[in-house]
Amino acid sequence: MALATPASHGASTAASLTTELTGSKRDVRGRAVEAVLLATLALSLLILVALVVNLVQRAWPVLSGRLGDFLSSGLDASNAAEAGVWQAIRGTLTLAVIVAIVSFPLGIACAVFLEEYAGKSFFARLIRINVRNLAGVPSIVYGILGLTIFVKFADGITGGRTVISGGLALAVLVLPVVIITASEALRAVPQSIREGAYGVGATKWETVRSHVLPSAAPGILTGTVLALSRAAGEAAPLLLVGGITGLLRTGDQGLWEQITKGGFTSMPVAIFSYARQTGADFQAVTGAASLILLILVVLINALAIWLRNRFEKRW
Amino acid sequence: MISKRWSAVAALAAILPLAACGGDDSSSEATEAPASSAAETTMAPEPGLSGSIFVSGSSTVEPITTAVAKLFGEANPDVAIQVEGPGTGDGFAKFCAGETDISDASRPIKGEEAQTCADAGIEFIELEVAIDGLAVITSAKNTAVECVSFADLWVLLGPDATGRNSWSDANDAAAELSAKVGTDFGTLHAPYPDAPLTVTAPGEESGTFDSFVELVLAKVAKALEVEDDAPRPDYTASPNDNVIIEGIAANDTSLGWVGFAFVEENLDVVKPLQVDKGKGCVEPTPESIASGDYPIARSLYIYVNAAKLAENPALEAFVDLYLSDDGLAVIGTGEGQIPYVPMNAADTEATRAVWEAKEVGTRDGGK
Repeated sequence: MALATPASHGASTAASLTTELTGSKRDVRGRAVEAVLLATLALSLLILVALVVNLVQRAWPVLSGRLGDFLSSGLDASNAAEAGVWQAIRGTLTLAVIVAIVSFPLGIACAVFLEEYAGKSFFARLIRINVRNLAGVPSIVYGILGLTIFVKFADGITGGRTVISGGLALAVLVLPVVIITASEALRAVPQSIREGAYGVGATKWETVRSHVLPSAAPGILTGTVLALSRAAGEAAPLLLVGGITGLLRTGDQGLWEQITKGGFTSMPVAIFSYARQTGADFQAVTGAASLILLILVVLINALAIWLRNRFEKRW
Repeated sequence: MISKRWSAVAALAAILPLAACGGDDSSSEATEAPASSAAETTMAPEPGLSGSIFVSGSSTVEPITTAVAKLFGEANPDVAIQVEGPGTGDGFAKFCAGETDISDASRPIKGEEAQTCADAGIEFIELEVAIDGLAVITSAKNTAVECVSFADLWVLLGPDATGRNSWSDANDAAAELSAKVGTDFGTLHAPYPDAPLTVTAPGEESGTFDSFVELVLAKVAKALEVEDDAPRPDYTASPNDNVIIEGIAANDTSLGWVGFAFVEENLDVVKPLQVDKGKGCVEPTPESIASGDYPIARSLYIYVNAAKLAENPALEAFVDLYLSDDGLAVIGTGEGQIPYVPMNAADTEATRAVWEAKEVGTRDGGK
């Protein structure tokens, strides 16, 4: 009866009420679980902070001494004092553009087919499972694929060991991720939206184009931009395809020639190269380059979050 | 609403090309800058050189070639140059497929590689450019050992050493080896102390690994008439020399090997051991390495594609610079120099003579 008449306690606080309800015992297990969860969170954050602090510490001679010079100098595996990252940043951005141009339309088209057209047949399920598995294949495997197909077999189109081959290898690498995230976004669009379109006499394609895709666009954008940031951080496939590690001088090559015939590098490839050079100077350069890659990836992710918040649709 | 959502797509579509343009702009600025400065300072010695040079091969030689290429690029801004270092073996694979103009190598070309080149109709000029000494190292805190012989290295690091986790585990093997080869490979320092034997060294993919096998273990294996000359597989392997230095420094009684250049910069944490190949203990120094007294040293080479030389004037000018006093001056221990051991005067003359005569084929390799 006491439970049913809390008013009889008069002005008693919620805490004293809880105490009364649970007896005089404290909620030891609940508190313990809370403490453990908090500890794991603290540990994760601590690792992240330690990583950043370590990187900044390592990179400090470069950051404080010649940051501008570092950002504007090219790849150089011979002298830490003259090594920089502008070619690597430029290479990574060029790769990102190629990845976006190739994998986004292709991936979104695949997702639209799988979600809107393929239905629930055995064949469609098989493909969905395979796409999920492909997303887990180690990146070096895509490097071997890129070397065999884009560099050796299709060198007439890609120009061999060029940024095009590198971009295509990365595009294939992130394609499953794009398909999966786009599929999820399409699946999240309520069936009633489609039914509404059908109800006013729209064809299937009209429904997809004017209702489903626009509604799923924010989710698709977020997923694809995150796929881009994964591509930006990959070194292994690019090393196989032919990312340059030592020196990259473009001479009198025009921009088009550089893309179709010249060599390329990227941030992770440059970091790989600097990390294996000897001496404390190169360790600082490696740290600084890693920090800049970190910032680059955070910026890309921030873009994804901004896009999501800006265009998110709640049903 | 719909048009607003589509604007998201449009926003992304607009941002990406913008990002690309940003990169392109910086590219043109940065390529123009050196061009104009070179034009101001000097009239290029051979004006009008253009074309491209692609160098691949040893990651050990990569910094030397990079430094020379920078020098060359200042005087010849129109020449496109790419330098990379996937490894000596990978480099020869590309070189013998005709992909590269020059192949850097931290060992002479192997017989099978030379055969691949010959089958593809590729002739090359072999040029020695520097010397790299391998140092056998232990922690700087280790005072128990000063000198190791090739025989010691065989029982501590050779194929039969697998599972020997303490120096003293090798005592029996040392006695056995001593009975077989006597002091041909130096005096054994057994009995060894009972101390943990932790080995950190370059992995199989590294040229430094190959050189250690060829220069040390293969020689003992040959005398013992055994096939297996690979080091024990149970050690911590890394392609990164800095990681190897850290691994050696982390244990007081560690053992391993690394390029001599990496030791000179880390003498506070690791100690290079004297090495005895039957002629007494020799300390690794730039002098003893260049003179050949120190037994574990290797020559570094560049291999130039002879056919491409004829069709690419920039390539000849590049190698000319590489072998000039200015070019070879990139090697040394000074600020901004590449820390290998320069060749002595006689070897430098020999290399230049081969280049002057454009002598094709290998003198040191082919085995």
